[in-house]
Amino acid sequence: MSATLDRQLRPIYDAIDTGSNKSAIVACNKLLKKQPKNDLIKALKALALVRSQKVEESLYLCDEVLASKPSDEATLSALSHVLRGLGRHLDIIAMYDTAWKQQPSNEDLGAQTFSANARTGNWKAAQQVATKLHKLFKDERYLYWSVFCAILQANDATTQPTLRPVLFKLAHRLLSSAQTPSFYSSDRFYVHLTILKELELWDDATALLSSEIGQTICSTNLTIDELRREIWKAKGSMKEEGERAQQRVKEKDDRNWLEFLSVLDATFWDVSSAPETAEEAKDACLHQITKAVEFFAQIADNDGARDRSGPLALLELEKRAVSHGLSKDPDAIYTLAESYFERFGDKACCFEDLVPYVQFSGDHLSNWIAYLEKHTSTATPEDLRRTINALKLLRYNLTQEQLTPELEAARATQYIRLYLDGMVHGQSLPDTELQPVDDLVVLGAHAFVTLWKTTGDVSFLYRAVVILEFASGKSKQSYVIRLLLIQIYHLLGAPSLALEHYRQLSVKQVQTDTLSYLILSRASTFALSSLGDLTYSTECMEASQIYLSNSTDTAEFVVRAFFAEKYSQIPDFVYLEDRLDNSLQRDLMKMEHVRMRLAHEAINSDLVDMELIELKFIFDRVHHDNRDFEVIPNYQPRDMPSFREQTTPFGKVPGSGWLSSFLKIYIKAFQQASDLDDSVEDKLLIGDRPKPHVESAGTMLLDDRLAQRPRKDFEELTPEETALLEFSTAVAEWLGPHHDYIRPPPAAVLAEAARQTELKIGHQPKGMTLPEGSSNGDARKDIDPPVVQDPPEIVLTFFDDMKARFTAALDGSVLSPELLHIITLTQEAFLIFAVETNRFKPAAVVKTHKLGPLVQSFKEIRAKASTTLTEMSTELEKLAKADSQINRQAEFVDHWKHIEGSEFNSEFISGVAKKVTESRHQVFEGIAKGAAKVSKTHAS
Amino acid sequence: MSVLRPFRATDLFKFNNINLDIWTETYGISFYLSYLARWPDLCCAQEAPSGRMMGYIIGKAEGQNLEWHGHITALTVAPEYRRLSLARKMVDLLEYVSDKGYKGYFVDLYVRCTNAVAISMYERMGYSVYRRVREYYGSLGMGRAGKDEEDAFDMRKPLSRDTGRRSVRANGREFIVSAHDVS
Repeated sequence: MSATLDRQLRPIYDAIDTGSNKSAIVACNKLLKKQPKNDLIKALKALALVRSQKVEESLYLCDEVLASKPSDEATLSALSHVLRGLGRHLDIIAMYDTAWKQQPSNEDLGAQTFSANARTGNWKAAQQVATKLHKLFKDERYLYWSVFCAILQANDATTQPTLRPVLFKLAHRLLSSAQTPSFYSSDRFYVHLTILKELELWDDATALLSSEIGQTICSTNLTIDELRREIWKAKGSMKEEGERAQQRVKEKDDRNWLEFLSVLDATFWDVSSAPETAEEAKDACLHQITKAVEFFAQIADNDGARDRSGPLALLELEKRAVSHGLSKDPDAIYTLAESYFERFGDKACCFEDLVPYVQFSGDHLSNWIAYLEKHTSTATPEDLRRTINALKLLRYNLTQEQLTPELEAARATQYIRLYLDGMVHGQSLPDTELQPVDDLVVLGAHAFVTLWKTTGDVSFLYRAVVILEFASGKSKQSYVIRLLLIQIYHLLGAPSLALEHYRQLSVKQVQTDTLSYLILSRASTFALSSLGDLTYSTECMEASQIYLSNSTDTAEFVVRAFFAEKYSQIPDFVYLEDRLDNSLQRDLMKMEHVRMRLAHEAINSDLVDMELIELKFIFDRVHHDNRDFEVIPNYQPRDMPSFREQTTPFGKVPGSGWLSSFLKIYIKAFQQASDLDDSVEDKLLIGDRPKPHVESAGTMLLDDRLAQRPRKDFEELTPEETALLEFSTAVAEWLGPHHDYIRPPPAAVLAEAARQTELKIGHQPKGMTLPEGSSNGDARKDIDPPVVQDPPEIVLTFFDDMKARFTAALDGSVLSPELLHIITLTQEAFLIFAVETNRFKPAAVVKTHKLGPLVQSFKEIRAKASTTLTEMSTELEKLAKADSQINRQAEFVDHWKHIEGSEFNSEFISGVAKKVTESRHQVFEGIAKGAAKVSKTHAS
Repeated sequence: MSVLRPFRATDLFKFNNINLDIWTETYGISFYLSYLARWPDLCCAQEAPSGRMMGYIIGKAEGQNLEWHGHITALTVAPEYRRLSLARKMVDLLEYVSDKGYKGYFVDLYVRCTNAVAISMYERMGYSVYRRVREYYGSLGMGRAGKDEEDAFDMRKPLSRDTGRRSVRANGREFIVSAHDVS
């Protein structure tokens, strides 16, 4: 590149880097006047265009440069960014491939070709490129690239299982041609061991690992050591591993729990390895147990309170002995648990440590209870922690009989009294610290939620909210308290307060994938998008940012890991990318977003076509559920539903079955409303299609898959959602033949799309025609038009049913979100009906196709829907008014008379009551007004 | 008692109980992957037998010649697992790998001058203040404690290769450099 050009281009690069795409385009245009044939300037312009969402123009320019087969690095790099922006990863590969073929001696181009393949997970091609690179440039690194790509291909979901062993053998053969031994670097060593493990070449693996250098690598690299453990386990050398672990624990003071587990596994190997256990094996095992008890006891004695490993290993040993019928002392586990509590009762994690071992019954249980009940002191911080652990353990072992409202209420009072007593220990802490008493309030909230569940009395939820809000004010950084509040506020129909607490958690980056379900699960129940309030839509968009950054960044690090030869990380990076890309939460949010969009925006072909294409992509995905449910604490008794289960709105967590059902509703409705058929869509689609999965339904046609109704999907739907599914199915079946008959032929749709694009960019787009003969033109017009049928029964009764449900729910027997659920789903049915009937709106269509009677029946349905929705809206608004006038303050305060403290006073309590009432009023009124608006908009 | 294991990319799905705590920052994916793609052996996690994550450490190796060393970028333990010496075990491992694996001269870390709890913890682990870095945390603005909040102590602990103990400086707290002088 000439120095002059370099100088002229600099400002363009800077403009693109800083996001000033407009000025970049202007600068490119200026330069292009002088040098109209310069590929690099064109490529940069295409990049600025795609970044300013001018896809069609960018596409045109990009194709022009691609056709000239560029091979200079700057142009290639600019183009690869353009293509990435367009989602055309396969074209990046082809581009580098072509460039490298022009200059085969250019090592960098070869490496770029490899990277392009690796970025896309194109392991087979990447492997071939790496092999070629190795042949040409003799760098051993390329050999390892090729070996590892074979492994990655073997593990890829799109690879046939029968091909796996073949690929591993290929990897093994390639590796054996290496000049330097694999222990040259720990990650090459990792690659080597992975292959040996897969091919079960135990002798080779043992030789490598037992060598001096092998041992050194294991001692400084946890990943390799992990692999070593797996190999030892797979080849059945448990005893040997147990001895090694004992040595590490004894001589190197290693307290990694993995070593203790190795000792435990070795101890029981005699009985657990054989399918039927002979007496001989039992005796041998008993002997091993005695030895292990001695060993662990000695560690426990030496470590004292410094480390929990010894005592916990004794507990685990006894538990396993019991399960094998080899325990000698029936009291042993009890004694161990008690002494564990003695020693570590003041550690916050004591409860979690002991839970697996304290499922007591009979005498042990009564002794355990008596022992724990002694711990009620809050005199010192240590006492306080011990008391909290004792209370958690007591609660864990409660039986159904002990959960009467009276006993549970007494427990709630006890938790709260202790909370108030113990508060002194946190008084001097800075407000960035957690309060040591927090967990007592968490326990209190657990008791109140159980009380609400057993009595149905909502006032217990109010009480839970009051104490949690109080504690949250005292312990501002406690995310645990906020999580409980978020759950309960949703139950109380106060979503804005839940959202406030969620925002205080400052959930960001990847956390939006694992945690946004807290506020976005069935968010359309609470969203006021029908009134133009985009709070929840915006939350969805923001929470979805992570998926964009995943698709741009993660693959880049796969490539970086290849260049840095950190092979051990690559499978995890690939898996991370896949889990985010195909995240269930991502698409649950997308679905919610579509539902909200429909309530807010005009229903036209732009919306319908775009969402149709996206939803169809989603329908083909194999999803990963990354939602973190574990983060919500649970201290409910062992045989009871967890706190999260108790507080899940509608008692049903939307999962893949829910998603699939809603996708079917919307894909079907959009498909009917849209003019795009598959052949048109193919032509209009920019970017690659997702890779087909081996497991996905494969050969089945989309229409057949959309018609499937697996029973398990219904388990995730509420009765109202099931009704909506049935409603929309019936509407689709009823109107399908008319849609198919009237829809313009593909060739006409494409011609129209081409005309639109031409208007936009000034020249004819390429590839916008169908192959000869594929278009059936007006052929079907020769068929008789479908006969107009009466509307299916269910379409008419749906609205009556929903009205009946709504009226029944008005008596106050259900939580307020259920009311909102009924009304928002009725509204949704109305909107789906609007989508389905949009095509039949123009008078000309009705006239041409003689649809008078059909359109007449639409009017009846619309009128019914509109009246129903208006009535519900009126009732809800009335309720909202009445609800806000109830003096809940007095009700709130009344419950706490017996426990008021200096700060925990009636003023504080009525403040909470006021906020709850206001939040509910806001959402009730909003949903009511929104429903009225929707019913007016779509009434005709 | 905890499982000491490598920190992996997929831990990003599991670390909420640690990262929701105010003292732990959640970065973009690129941050974690840039460390794992270069120094996976300097990143490890502690896990409870239940599978819950308890804490993690993220480190790197950097520097030229006599400055070649291991660096602790992030070290964190979830609130409910504090006071169990988990931090020490993870730091021990990072030091061991920096020493035996990377053959570094020392391990270092940066800590806010106001964070007395952390400073004394590191001192108990054998670290000492090597220098004070002006406005290291500058982007966060002035906090309650003024300058102390913005400045960082660079704390170092010599490894076996630092036979002359060059990474220990008696009056490190008074030795002041500007943020531009450190990487």
